[in-house]
Amino acid sequence: MKITQHASADTLTLVLDGELDASSSVLLDTELTKPETLQFQKVLINCQKLNYISSAGLGVFISHLQQFQDAGVKLIFFNMQEKVRNVFEILGLDTLMTIVPSETEATAI
Amino acid sequence: MPFRQKLKAITFPLTVLSWLLLLLSTLSNTNGRAAEWLGGPWPEWLTLTAQAAFAAGAFIFQRGRPDPLHGNDFVGLLRRLVLGPGMLATACVGLHLVERFIQAELPTNDQTFFACIYTVNLGLFVVFLAYINYSWRSLVLFRASPLVQRQWIWFEVLLGFTLLFRLLDWVPPHPLDYFILGGLGTFGVYLSGNQQWVAYLSRRQKWEAVLLQIAIMLALAVFVAYLLRIRLDPKLVAPAPQHAFLLLNAFFGTFYAFMGLMVTVFNLPTASVFEQKREEILSMQRLTQLIQKGQTEEEVYAMLFDSAVQTMDADAAWITLEEDNETTTIQHYHVLPEQASEVERLLQEYKLHQIEYLNNDLSGSSGFRDLHLPYGSLIVMPLRSAKRRFGALYMLKEHRYGFDRENLSILQTFASQTVLSIENLQLVHISLENQRVQEELKIASAVQDSLIPKNLPIDSWFDISSYAASAKEVGGDFYDFLHLPGRQLAILIGDVSGKGVTAAFHVAQMKGIFHALMQENYLARSEREKFPVPSRFMTQANTALARCLEKAAFITASLYIIDYENRGFVFARAGHCHTLYYHSIKEEVSYFQTTGLGLGIIRNESYEKHIKNQFYDYNPGDVMVIYTDGIVEARNAEQEEYGEERLLYMLEQTFSMEADEIKNQILSDLAQFSAGQPMHDDQTLLVVKFKSTQPDVLN
Repeated sequence: MKITQHASADTLTLVLDGELDASSSVLLDTELTKPETLQFQKVLINCQKLNYISSAGLGVFISHLQQFQDAGVKLIFFNMQEKVRNVFEILGLDTLMTIVPSETEATAI
Repeated sequence: MPFRQKLKAITFPLTVLSWLLLLLSTLSNTNGRAAEWLGGPWPEWLTLTAQAAFAAGAFIFQRGRPDPLHGNDFVGLLRRLVLGPGMLATACVGLHLVERFIQAELPTNDQTFFACIYTVNLGLFVVFLAYINYSWRSLVLFRASPLVQRQWIWFEVLLGFTLLFRLLDWVPPHPLDYFILGGLGTFGVYLSGNQQWVAYLSRRQKWEAVLLQIAIMLALAVFVAYLLRIRLDPKLVAPAPQHAFLLLNAFFGTFYAFMGLMVTVFNLPTASVFEQKREEILSMQRLTQLIQKGQTEEEVYAMLFDSAVQTMDADAAWITLEEDNETTTIQHYHVLPEQASEVERLLQEYKLHQIEYLNNDLSGSSGFRDLHLPYGSLIVMPLRSAKRRFGALYMLKEHRYGFDRENLSILQTFASQTVLSIENLQLVHISLENQRVQEELKIASAVQDSLIPKNLPIDSWFDISSYAASAKEVGGDFYDFLHLPGRQLAILIGDVSGKGVTAAFHVAQMKGIFHALMQENYLARSEREKFPVPSRFMTQANTALARCLEKAAFITASLYIIDYENRGFVFARAGHCHTLYYHSIKEEVSYFQTTGLGLGIIRNESYEKHIKNQFYDYNPGDVMVIYTDGIVEARNAEQEEYGEERLLYMLEQTFSMEADEIKNQILSDLAQFSAGQPMHDDQTLLVVKFKSTQPDVLN
């Protein structure tokens, strides 16, 4: 798992590359736990190269969900592969999180 | 070899015979009756030959005897030399005195008795020399190089040649005799330099060796004095003995003893240093042995402390142990607690408490001077490994410059040995602990196994077949059945996120929640409200779990309530895998596409909005496949997932079979797909088949 990030004035974009499993989800958790993350208005997650997400990976997003909502930070996923999206949908997360097809739509929100 | 052995066997009788011949030929030269009886005087060459043969025999016999040195028992060898051959000297003196006494009491000109005593004493002297020189040989050759071994053999051969001088009645011309004697004497002196054995003596043994060597030299002196005295006696009838050979041997015997004495005496002052080194080695051995015995940490520290105090000859010492930022003193020797803590405080102040520290002039540093300690030197050795610090060893000596760099390096060895053994003990402890945890996991696994329903509901309306496997000892998958009154059956399946013991706890919890919530509500106004509908159950379960589930954990579950009376079922899917279903009327296999959020994701009342009930009227021959994600996410060698589509395809092929057979077909296909791959996640599979002929409910 490789996580790269780009920050602009009000947007933080995290690019996830590889498989998000029990061990790599710790990395993601560290990124999302940083206090400066909550300074942004939007946190975009680029899932184009995210091949797999385990329940531990989902758990990281779930655990930060409430915090993001409270701080008024929008969490938006885009470019999600079909099978990963399926995992989000089965668990019902698509009703709680914003998942859009492309980066243009993500930035437009 | 056989010749040598034969020679060895006949040496002793030949030696005895040649001595008897010597005695007889000496007697034949006297003026007594024995001479007449023997028909003497016999020719002089006979006496000389007998003398030479006896000397050669005595030396060869002694040479062939077993090595008088047993192991490193040098003092034992010297002691046997004094007790054995030393007695010969005493006997010699005794015989001489007896002869003098008889001579004084009964003055006579008869030389017979005198000659007898002389021959006996000469024999004793030769045996004595042979014994001494071959004892010295053992010492010279102790740990000697092959060169020295060859030199010794040359020395023996050359000495042997000197026996021939007198025998052949050849006196070397004047300057040559000095060269020969002087040369061989020098050779003996050179060989006397081989005194390595002295180094192996302890201080006490060195003193003993000095005294024993003096005694040996005295015994030699007794013989030499006797022979010098008897040489001038007018009664002496025998020809002068093999003086070159005997002289050289006596000289070597004496000189080696003298050299040994000197070396030992000069080694005496350094003996304590050797003993200290010896003690250090022994202490290290004792420490090493403790490791192998695997004793307790306290004993290892005590052993370190005793060894260090003894080896360093410290006047005061203590050990501190550090655990969780707390320092405790576990061993102390001649030191007051307040003195110890003051020294520690001072070192901490100087930031010296973490390193090896040697101060040989405490009165020279102001901090220590202010403590008014009665000590001059301090050494501090931290006990630490690469990973952590265990504590420190402090040692004090009264005088200044009490410790040196070597002490520091020995203490280092002690400390590292100790740390090694402590770490070993801790590893043993950890592995025992791991073993215990393993045992407990086995128990947990057995307990969890007992939570899985063993007896599947048997009914005339449907068949059920089940399969469950955990990736680890305990798993996060669960399923359960519950018969409800009024021909209803509740089926629960689910998966706790994560694996292992934490997940297993939540599994047990879910089972408890299931049985608690599925109780009949007697206050219910209608039949339908007696038991919670699946969505209500999920909402209540979500509330129950909200308080105890970790932040990042969640549970997916599906609850089905089948009502045979009405030939229908209702279910709710809380984020769990979709239900695969064969519709016998439509002859079609599909997934129920329902929405529903996993448990524990939203932990407040709003969860209710995210869960829905789905009603369906089943038909005879319908098949329901319920499973966990371990089935559809199982991977093959190419890391592809088994997937919902392949599962759907399998049911299309097998829907007409019995529930058990459908399950087996799916499992064997799955096994084929993921052959050779490790099991990543728990797998659970339930197949429910509604029987083709449904009994009439009215009967």
